[in-house]
Amino acid sequence: MNRRVTLPIGRITEETEDVRTFTFYHSLDARPGQFIMATDFKEGEKPFSLSDSREGEFSFTVKRVGDFTRRLFTRRTGDFISIRGAFGSSFFMSPRRALLIGGGYGTPPLLFLARALTARGLPVKMINAARTAGDLIMAPYFQDLGIDYCETTDDGSRGFRGTAVDAVRHLKDQGGGAYDYVYAAGPELMMYHLRPLLEEGDYQFLFERYMKCAVGLCGSCAVDGSGIRICREGPALDKAQVALLTEFGSYHRDSAGRKISYKTNKPLIMEDE
Amino acid sequence: MKERLKTEFLGRVFNSPLVLPAGIMGISAASLQAVSRSGAGLVTTKSLTLKPRTGHPGPVTEPFEGGLLNAMGLCNPGVAEGLQEARDYLSQADSGQGLIISLFGTSPEEFSGLARRCGDLENTFLELNLSCPNVFDEFGTPLAASAPRVAEIIRSVKTATELPVIAKLSPNVTDILPVARAAEEAGADALCLINTLGPGLAIDITTSRPVLSNRYGGLSGGCVKPVALRLVHLVSRTVAIPVIGMGGVSTWEDAVEMIIAGARLVGLGTAVMDRGMEVFTEVNSGLAAFLENRNYRGIEEIPLLEI
Repeated sequence: MNRRVTLPIGRITEETEDVRTFTFYHSLDARPGQFIMATDFKEGEKPFSLSDSREGEFSFTVKRVGDFTRRLFTRRTGDFISIRGAFGSSFFMSPRRALLIGGGYGTPPLLFLARALTARGLPVKMINAARTAGDLIMAPYFQDLGIDYCETTDDGSRGFRGTAVDAVRHLKDQGGGAYDYVYAAGPELMMYHLRPLLEEGDYQFLFERYMKCAVGLCGSCAVDGSGIRICREGPALDKAQVALLTEFGSYHRDSAGRKISYKTNKPLIMEDE
Repeated sequence: MKERLKTEFLGRVFNSPLVLPAGIMGISAASLQAVSRSGAGLVTTKSLTLKPRTGHPGPVTEPFEGGLLNAMGLCNPGVAEGLQEARDYLSQADSGQGLIISLFGTSPEEFSGLARRCGDLENTFLELNLSCPNVFDEFGTPLAASAPRVAEIIRSVKTATELPVIAKLSPNVTDILPVARAAEEAGADALCLINTLGPGLAIDITTSRPVLSNRYGGLSGGCVKPVALRLVHLVSRTVAIPVIGMGGVSTWEDAVEMIIAGARLVGLGTAVMDRGMEVFTEVNSGLAAFLENRNYRGIEEIPLLEI
């Protein structure tokens, strides 16, 4: 059982105007890919992927997107946040050459992974993708690791011009690149479009679904095709698990359990009354 | 599936006496099918309401030694989408796998309206959630606190549907027997007990705030088992209709205890948190081995509690 700990915020790092990293001086038993649940006991408890965890401290990186994260952004060092976790599956520490693909706000958990892989002396290539230069996050930390690091933006304002999918296609056209195992985290449609390019190899994708209990009980994050719980068997799913995912890239469920289309952002089944 | 585990309930034979209770593993067909594959004889949906509900904001669960405090707040996609999931589930279920659709309403009219919506389903049981302890602010004291209200709702549902009706009762009453009798007399085909106990409170000592956003939550898990056993025992010897016993069951020994107390079927819910979905497989094999060692042909040969 992962006990709840209520901790003062140790350090806040502004990554961009809308993205901040919250660091707590506390040792968490966590591996790359795992997430924690955070609450301020006001309203709501949300899952966040860990962007780092080491002896004596851990961090998660937050994008300001809704009421909960807006409130979190008003918090200062020393304010209390209550955390439980870490939960879920983690990335395999594949003893091979890794290609990491992060899209937008999906990048932070890959930083935790990149640190773990380089600490084992494994070669890492990282593609950091975003819509535009201002949305590229965590770049200095990846560069500090001394890995093979490149950037791509949809509008070409920094790095390669194109999406993460374009960058991987380009990499393959150039002769495949020197990697044996792919890890991707980011918007689901990015991973959906990456998948056909990666089929001859092996990979793990990091998934996001609405979570409530985070302990595998409530069924909120269970996905169609297999009933896999993203909080328990996920959030890192391997190639075989992804193959079972019939809702992949098509829909997800909201806090009531309604299916919401990725295309329209609306419920798939309209109420009949 | 092992032959000895086959259990008769309201005229049908199921692969196992184990039941997934309402509210565990949600509503989606994929999720419920995963539980059936693991070995549950019957699975129960999350309680469906007329309109979709997002439930309470988090935190909605707080594990502690011996159990779990929860206040989900009846989140569900609403009866229309919920019944689509139910149909998906049924289209893939074998004859030994049963579905219980849990319904939550606030009046006889709402309950019977929900029941009518399920009218075209086959091989399905309806369970009336009369006992959710976690929506007090919105709906007040659970209906299961009042024997006349329980009777009124069951009568109303029975006129609206041909499907067998199960009443889910609350342990949080001074005397459960008048409620159980009223449910039976009003035409309930079976009873299910217990719903979560309490409600209780968990406090964050750093901030002096309640952990759950709903402040209070129902108690489940190992700590409630003795209460569940006592109530299942009292109720099952008072009414003639079958009782689905649940509350804190996580091992095959717990399941045998519940059967000895008088349960026809046995629910396993919070155990999924600590022991995973495989808990159904494990309890089934333990139960089957017990029946075989004792030379019982089925659970109905296990001697009932002698007092």
